[in-house]
Amino acid sequence: MKSIFHYKYSKLLIAASSLMLTVQIAQAQTPKLQLNSLDHLSAKASETVDVSIDERLIQTAIKIFSDQDPDEREIKKLVSGLKGIYVRSFEFANEGEYSSVDLQPVLTQLQDPAWSRIVNITSKKEGNVEVYLRMLNDQITGLAVLSAELKELTIVNLVGPVDLEKLTRLEGRLGIPELGIESTKPKTKNEQ
Amino acid sequence: MKVNTTRTALLLILSLTVIVQTTLALNDDFNSAVKLIERFYGVKHMEIPFLAKAGMKVITTAARVKGGTARRLAEAGSAKVAIFEDQSFDGDIMKFRTTLNDTLTASWSPIVQTLSTPNREQCYIFVRNNGDKFNVLVITIDPGDATVVQVTLSAKNLALLMKDPDGMGKAITDEATVVDQ
Repeated sequence: MKSIFHYKYSKLLIAASSLMLTVQIAQAQTPKLQLNSLDHLSAKASETVDVSIDERLIQTAIKIFSDQDPDEREIKKLVSGLKGIYVRSFEFANEGEYSSVDLQPVLTQLQDPAWSRIVNITSKKEGNVEVYLRMLNDQITGLAVLSAELKELTIVNLVGPVDLEKLTRLEGRLGIPELGIESTKPKTKNEQ
Repeated sequence: MKVNTTRTALLLILSLTVIVQTTLALNDDFNSAVKLIERFYGVKHMEIPFLAKAGMKVITTAARVKGGTARRLAEAGSAKVAIFEDQSFDGDIMKFRTTLNDTLTASWSPIVQTLSTPNREQCYIFVRNNGDKFNVLVITIDPGDATVVQVTLSAKNLALLMKDPDGMGKAITDEATVVDQ
């Protein structure tokens, strides 16, 4: 009886582990980054901004933005095809209130082979800015920006067909912060 | 024949129940947010007399909206307002945020959430479809006061909100709560 119980129990454990693994793989395969691991930084940050514009809201924006207004017309064109805009921004009172350990769960997702870091990106802002593109069959399916300053950490994740030019034109709109990104013919790490 | 009639009646009752429940849920989210604040922080919102509500008008605040001149943002008569004044909002901000999101995200999309832990300030903006218009729920909490505002916006004004969520969130709250001088 005990052995039957153990047998069933171990089968259940294997099934649960497989399910968890499947979920983790599924999460890693999507261009939408899981940013919940950063939630704990809100307790340390002097200001936290969390912007979530999902596909439903983007579709709504495309419907309601006017073609007569040049600004709205441009935004409409830029977000067309996007499936999500997600921003997490943390401002800290002092330096050293976050570390690379806090960023590790996000960086782990970006180590998936589908993501490539774009090199030769500079930003007018101080600190380290890394831009990643997610490709699928030569199509861009997502973009991620990690801007790590001494007292500020910003992560922008655009889901869908997007390029750096689109991102720079969306800066300061739809809750996307000014990242000050300047690119000169960006190349991915793989192209170097 | 009898079986068919019973089945149709059951289906009708079921559909009606779903419709009623959905309608109640849509109407209840504002109250749920207010009740959540009351429970979580142990505070009580002020009742606003009907005449005082009627006296609340859009003033210069709307002009703060990017590119906007003074204009009414919310659809007439659509504003629901709950005000908490001179009370203490001490509590775990992160826990409150999680509970609020758990309460609302089934039917609302969160657009922007801004937290300032040292200043104990929180601002949450949620949106949902309401036919050809949109409901917007803005919750702002600071150490001594809080407001919960739900308004109905036209598509044009939702476009303004999406372009400048932070500024527009403030404008919506101001419009619903500032009494014309």
